[in-house]
Amino acid sequence: MIGPAAAADYPLRQVTVIVPFAPGGPTDTVARIISAQMAKSLGQKVAIENVVGAGGTLAASLASRAAADGYTLIAGHMGTHAAAVPLYPGLSYHPTRDFEPVALLAGTPIVILARKDFPPKNLEEFAAYVRANTERLNVAHAGIGSVSYVSCLVLHRQLGVKPTGVPFGGMGPAMKALIAGEVDYMCDQIVNAVPHINSGKIKAYAIAMPTRSPSLPNVPTTAEAGLPGFQARAWIAMFAPKGTPPSLVVLLNAAASHALDDRAVRDSLQALGAVIPAPEQRTPQALADLVASEIDRLTPLLWQAANATNGHDQPWK
Amino acid sequence: MADLISNLALGFGVAFTPVNLLFCLIGALVGTLVGVLPGIGTVATVAMLLPITFGLPPVGALIMLAGIYYGAQYGGSTTSILVNIPGEATSVVTTLDGFQMAQQGRAGPALAIAAIGSFVAGCVATVLIAVLGGPLTKLAQAFGPAEYFSLMVLGLVFAVVLAKGSVLKAIAMIVLGLLLSMVGSDVETGAARMSFGVPDLADGFGFAIVAMGVFGFAEIIRNLDPGTDVNRSLVQRPVTGLMPTRKDLVDAAPAIGRGTALGAILGILPGGGAVIASFAAYTLEKKIARVPSRFGRGAIEGVAAPESANNAAAQTSFIPLLTLGIPPNAVMALMVGAMTIHGIVPGPMVLQNQPELVWGMIASMWIGNVMLLIINLPLVGIWVRLLRVPYRLLFPAIVVLCAIGIYSINNSPVDVVLAGGFGLLGYWLIKQDFEPAPMLLGLVLGPLMEENLRRALMIARGDATVFVTRPLSASLLAVALLLLILAILPSLRRKRDEVFVEPKD
Amino acid sequence: MGVEPSEASGRSLWPRWVRGPQEFAGGLTLMAIALLALWAARDLSSMRGFSPGAGTVPRLTAGVLLALGAVVTALGVFVKGPRSARSAWRGPLFVGLAILAFAVSIQPLGLPLAAFLSFMIAALATKETRWGQTTLAGLCLAGVCSLLFPFVLRLPLPLLPRFLMP
Repeated sequence: MIGPAAAADYPLRQVTVIVPFAPGGPTDTVARIISAQMAKSLGQKVAIENVVGAGGTLAASLASRAAADGYTLIAGHMGTHAAAVPLYPGLSYHPTRDFEPVALLAGTPIVILARKDFPPKNLEEFAAYVRANTERLNVAHAGIGSVSYVSCLVLHRQLGVKPTGVPFGGMGPAMKALIAGEVDYMCDQIVNAVPHINSGKIKAYAIAMPTRSPSLPNVPTTAEAGLPGFQARAWIAMFAPKGTPPSLVVLLNAAASHALDDRAVRDSLQALGAVIPAPEQRTPQALADLVASEIDRLTPLLWQAANATNGHDQPWK
Repeated sequence: MADLISNLALGFGVAFTPVNLLFCLIGALVGTLVGVLPGIGTVATVAMLLPITFGLPPVGALIMLAGIYYGAQYGGSTTSILVNIPGEATSVVTTLDGFQMAQQGRAGPALAIAAIGSFVAGCVATVLIAVLGGPLTKLAQAFGPAEYFSLMVLGLVFAVVLAKGSVLKAIAMIVLGLLLSMVGSDVETGAARMSFGVPDLADGFGFAIVAMGVFGFAEIIRNLDPGTDVNRSLVQRPVTGLMPTRKDLVDAAPAIGRGTALGAILGILPGGGAVIASFAAYTLEKKIARVPSRFGRGAIEGVAAPESANNAAAQTSFIPLLTLGIPPNAVMALMVGAMTIHGIVPGPMVLQNQPELVWGMIASMWIGNVMLLIINLPLVGIWVRLLRVPYRLLFPAIVVLCAIGIYSINNSPVDVVLAGGFGLLGYWLIKQDFEPAPMLLGLVLGPLMEENLRRALMIARGDATVFVTRPLSASLLAVALLLLILAILPSLRRKRDEVFVEPKD
Repeated sequence: MGVEPSEASGRSLWPRWVRGPQEFAGGLTLMAIALLALWAARDLSSMRGFSPGAGTVPRLTAGVLLALGAVVTALGVFVKGPRSARSAWRGPLFVGLAILAFAVSIQPLGLPLAAFLSFMIAALATKETRWGQTTLAGLCLAGVCSLLFPFVLRLPLPLLPRFLMP
């Protein structure tokens, strides 16, 4: 089928990138921006196919079963390619065993956000306040396993507290609740938060990455604000089905990496608050390591949370 | 005031450029097409067409998407009236009297009044967005989880009130709808509930699947029963006049006004607002009518009020999007996506940084409404002619179109089979004199109701009294209770009378 | 229509002590659905402290439906009510089969063939069908759908049967 000359001819027809969410979400936006640029260097159309359902695992399951010929790829993220492992014991694919990592596309930093009249003035006061008032606090999240849930879980581990988590259908409704003051605080991706922080409807305590974000220059990093141990981010990466010839993976990786060096692509991604991975973070091996370490990190964290609350009625058992 | 006029002038300046007018027209046309084809959801189409708009200028893209959204709302009511298939949750109530009117040969006036009502509502709501956008957002903010839960309870009571037959059966159907809505992923854990291990059920029963089943397929099967030829020939009866008479307009005018007001207010509440608005408007009309028994038997107010309400609500649902950047429904979420692709982060800053975008869109909503009226009134004649196609050819075509529509939502054959199953269940229940409309409302409001119930209880640390101690929530529940009593009393009285009267048929 | 329910205008599905067959049949259906839901929700978690679990609300709702179903069924036993309207097997069978045929054939056979097949099977549901006319209408519908959905609305529907795909 695919001989040694495969890479020379590739791509002969349109390449499809499966996005596990509806159009317009952060994953979709990032995938569209990068694949449009990749299409230029590959010399073929790159189509986006949105497959929605079951927290993205439906799409990942579909992609894992697709032909390993380089014509079907998936834009996976922290949920589908790490958190899903402990959350869905009956998962029909495994992020490392059923996929060839292609390239890390983007990271999005996490911000600690609170309602605008939340008493603490800075992150140190925040930590003290949360420890002192754990019983009374409500923390919004978008469901167990979501980026917002995992990020605040890590924060709470560090503070040694367990406040009440209030689940929302998505971060949109959660943001509305935070603005209205129904919940006290939450950990959210920077993309969603910037306009509300700038208009003073909510406040931001710190950004959980090593450097400040250009879109929020006044928000300190967790290290600056006195909680250096708390680092959290969400990531989006490209994967191919297992068995895709290494020559094609190299080619696709080069196309993705090339797209990340493009001026216009960088500008659009940065406007979204996304962090563009450095060249050494973009290799297939770096992505493989990232996925493995994320699974190791999230499995013990989520296993307990998921199994304390889930029934046994898991999908794809 | 001067501000408002200059803002609107800016908006119309942007919207009236030939290119943007063209985008608006294309959007309205595609939207109408999508709405008229049973099963093809607005969300699916907007999702499919979204990539095309990425190549357009941002204002043009948003104008076109808004056009699709309104067009689909208009088109959805067309199928409700002609073939008893609601295109969207907001046009479920329209089937009650709209389809009856069509069966009496008055499809023309029903379609025309739906278009006129929507247009009036659209005009009023556009002005409302421009004038009261800011203050109205405050109202939406006053709604916490407890208030939302109580609002949903009120919404479900509306469904009881609008039932034609037994109140008990209507309540049972609502509860069945609630139960069906709980199939699928749990809001907290994301785990599939009651899905019997079927991956296609992991996200629950979609509205379109159930609606196509219990309205579309069940209605067709019922029409095929021997003995219903009478009904069918009614549909085929020569159409008497395409346009509403003066009397129709006089009857419908106050209903349009009340529907618009209710819709404009409830539309601001993201999630369920527009659906509840259409049910609330219908309930109001039925309650204040001199002869409530006309409703469900082809009352023109029963079409005018919910159609005005759902369109007003569709317009004012833009308010939370424009002021907070929070999309009230799935279509809006896609539009937010379109904005971010164009590098616009929705929210309060857009109004300051890109006024031409916001006001251009507001103005284009109004222009879109005019265009839809111009497109739809002449179309009424074509739709009505469609009803003259012999039923033996019409019904297999509807079956196929519904099947394609359902399949296209998720490219899932299982969804098509599920809709067929709901068709058979719906047919069986209709045979036993259960009405499907209350069940659909339960299905739509169920998830919101459960989520908000759980959220309210968690935030209140399990104290169930929050629902009656928060004033807004308490008053919503009080209204719900009052309406329920009003609904049950006459039926109890009727029951007592029936003991002495032989059942009629 | 207009016939006294007790009078024999056909066989009744139910024993004589069922006085309201509609209520009786409908109530039993609801109870069956409620029991199925209770069974399906048996493993879902219930209240943990003050926070309702995944199974709390579904079980509660299924319980309410079971109770309502029981009341409706009881009414069917004790209160005289209308008979169920007569049903036919032809409509449900062929419409059901047409839907099923579309579901199984859309992916392997593609849109035009699946639409035509489904149209023809649905047409079996009535005795009024004139086959020449129906075949022509079915071909037209399949043609129009094949242009409308994939091209005008850009929905990703397969057009060719899978065995003809490159």
